[in-house]
Amino acid sequence: MQPENIALKTPYLPVKGTIRSIQPMAADNYLFDITESTGSLASCKPGQFVELWVPGVGECPISVCSGRVGESIQLMVRRAGRVTSALFQLEEGDWVGLRGPYGQGFPMHEFKGRNLCMVAGGLGVAPIRSVWQYALDHREDFGKLILIYGMRHTTDILFRQELKFLLRRRDIDIFIGAEEVMGPELPPIAAQLGRVTDMLRLADISPDYCVAVCGPPVMYKYVIEGLKKKGVPDAQIWLSLERHMKCGIGKCGHCFIGGKFNCKAGPVFALPEIKHAPEAIECANGEY
Amino acid sequence: MQPVYFLPKENFPAFLEALKGLGSVYAPVKVSKQSYSFKAVEKASEIAFEALRTILPPKKFFYPPSETLISYDDGRILEYQEEPEFKVIFGVHPCDLAGLGIMDTIFEDGPADSHYVRRRRMSMLVGLSCMPDKHCFCQSMGTDCPEKGYDIFLTDIEDGYFLQSQSTMGGAFLDGSGMTGILERAREAHKDRYKEFWIRRKDAFSIGFAPDNLRATMDMEWDNPVWEELGNRCLSCGNCTPVCPTCYCFDLVDVASLSGDSGERRREWDSCQFTGFAQVAGDFNFRPGPVDRLKFWYRHKLHGFDDAYGFKTCVGCGRCTVSCPSGIDDIVAVVNILQSSKKAENKSDAT
Ligand SMILES: Cc1cc2nc3c(=O)[nH]c(=O)nc-3n(C[C@H](O)[C@H](O)[C@H](O)COP(=O)(O)OP(=O)(O)OC[C@H]3O[C@@H](n4cnc5c(N)ncnc54)[C@H](O)[C@@H]3O)c2cc1C
Ligand code: SF4
Ligand code: SF4
Ligand code: FES
Repeated sequence: MQPENIALKTPYLPVKGTIRSIQPMAADNYLFDITESTGSLASCKPGQFVELWVPGVGECPISVCSGRVGESIQLMVRRAGRVTSALFQLEEGDWVGLRGPYGQGFPMHEFKGRNLCMVAGGLGVAPIRSVWQYALDHREDFGKLILIYGMRHTTDILFRQELKFLLRRRDIDIFIGAEEVMGPELPPIAAQLGRVTDMLRLADISPDYCVAVCGPPVMYKYVIEGLKKKGVPDAQIWLSLERHMKCGIGKCGHCFIGGKFNCKAGPVFALPEIKHAPEAIECANGEY
Repeated sequence: MQPVYFLPKENFPAFLEALKGLGSVYAPVKVSKQSYSFKAVEKASEIAFEALRTILPPKKFFYPPSETLISYDDGRILEYQEEPEFKVIFGVHPCDLAGLGIMDTIFEDGPADSHYVRRRRMSMLVGLSCMPDKHCFCQSMGTDCPEKGYDIFLTDIEDGYFLQSQSTMGGAFLDGSGMTGILERAREAHKDRYKEFWIRRKDAFSIGFAPDNLRATMDMEWDNPVWEELGNRCLSCGNCTPVCPTCYCFDLVDVASLSGDSGERRREWDSCQFTGFAQVAGDFNFRPGPVDRLKFWYRHKLHGFDDAYGFKTCVGCGRCTVSCPSGIDDIVAVVNILQSSKKAENKSDAT
């Protein structure tokens, strides 16, 4: 009846991506390099995410983990359940669906010209990697750079090769720590025993730093406390929050935090935006 | 001003015939002793004019409980779009009109949900006035007098209906030649009866609360003991959400063919009252207990969209109250408790 109906396209249609390579990084953590020919993901910004679809199984939100997205996109996936397990069954050359990029990502323009500290816990290193890659690609735009990366076990370390290179650079301070040594020895990388919060204490963070944080839900409270002690104002702390997500476009209601859709308004928020929203920072189950 | 009309009740069958000329007409029909449902109607006698709340709100016409969004076959991914047929939804009360307005905002907000929007555009909403019962509180939520959201609105003024139109489509229908001999121009006496009706209706509400400061009240009473008590009684059955005219949450699921080469992606209504709704990997659940989910729901209904869209998402229809098996979805009672406990605290502060 109305001609405008014809133009209206479903927002749930993925583009087709082909798995170019699969690189195991740690047990149950693989890096997938996926090519996508339409260019729809080329505008990906650090901290944004895509909905990854394994046909016949389902979709799940996965962070873009490279600072440069051209014809291929890198996704670091942990085997967590149905969809991710099905993805782990696929091989190079198989196809998957991709929708996105979604969300607001980290405000790289706000970070420009300032000192930047990046804090990653566990798999939170995936989106944080896109931040450090971006910052190092545009190194002259940023002040001092600090990277803090904590994990449960030494064997959990992701991007080990890349971090080894980074550790040799003088223009970024890196702290890598694990809570527990697993296996025969510490990984052949300058790591220490301790939590993200211990490393926060060691790092020379002054109140003028901007901070980008991503990690498991229970980590945030402790990181925020640590940054407070360093005198970093709330408005300079940016957190990427994980929530259950289905649609990624502000329709399905799963990701609601306070009064906002995490998928659209987030997943990255400045601390003052969410500080007082129930459930935003506090996590009911789990001690860190 | 749009012209207003009077439809004598004896002309209603002819009016219905004219509506049927636009497309299939759906209206509240009595389906059991106490329940009503929007169904396709052919004759005026099938319509339950007395119906207040239908079991499901009219959102089901535009947002069905389950539908296919995309399909895939042998490596090709295809958009699944049915061509919607034109529907006239008759007998939509003010609360449900407001509810559809909220659904429209959510689904039209970019990127628009084409599946909903295409169906919605192929529809006409014909509103109908009503008298509140003991569960209606649209007045408290500010949705009792429809000022927008309908194409045509009928106010029952005893021997006939007072007709207003709001959209171009509704206006064209009432002004069109098809209505000759069916409608009359409304006269002063009709206008007086129209005004009297709405005054009478305003005074007919038996329950309610002051809608001011709902957000502040919820914030201040976040730890009120009433929540634990309600949470302990909640069965997490999820009855309260499908019946709500503004509950929009869904799940997306794949349905694969046996060979696995083809299949569909479907969406299904979901409920924030289900345990896993806000669970993420690593077994973190942001709302692990019934009390957390219930509080979330109340908060969302009473002021949850103030930030995102600037409106509340309860329209006061009372459906959740009548469909909760534990009798805890009584928004009016709960708000009254929250508001009064504030007063009690103030008193004890003063002494
Ligand atoms: C913005 C964002 C970025 C993410 N980035 C990454 C990433 O880079 N790498 C990575 O491995 N994981 C990432 N995740 C987490 C990942 O989405 C979940 O691990 C994944 O959805 C689990 O799906 P599944 O089908 O394999 O597990 P399921 O079998 O569905 O369930 C396993 C667990 O995951 C939870 N879960 C299920 N679906 C979702 C969902 N849609 N969103 C969140 N949790 C869910 C379940 O409640 C359950 O606790 C991210 C999540 C978000 C919200
Ligand atoms: S919350 Fe209850 S009363 Fe309010 S609109 Fe939904 S079903 Fe109706
Ligand atoms: S509030 Fe009532 S209807 Fe809703 S889930 Fe709990 S018991 Fe069921
Ligand atoms: S993921 Fe669906 S609303 Fe955010």
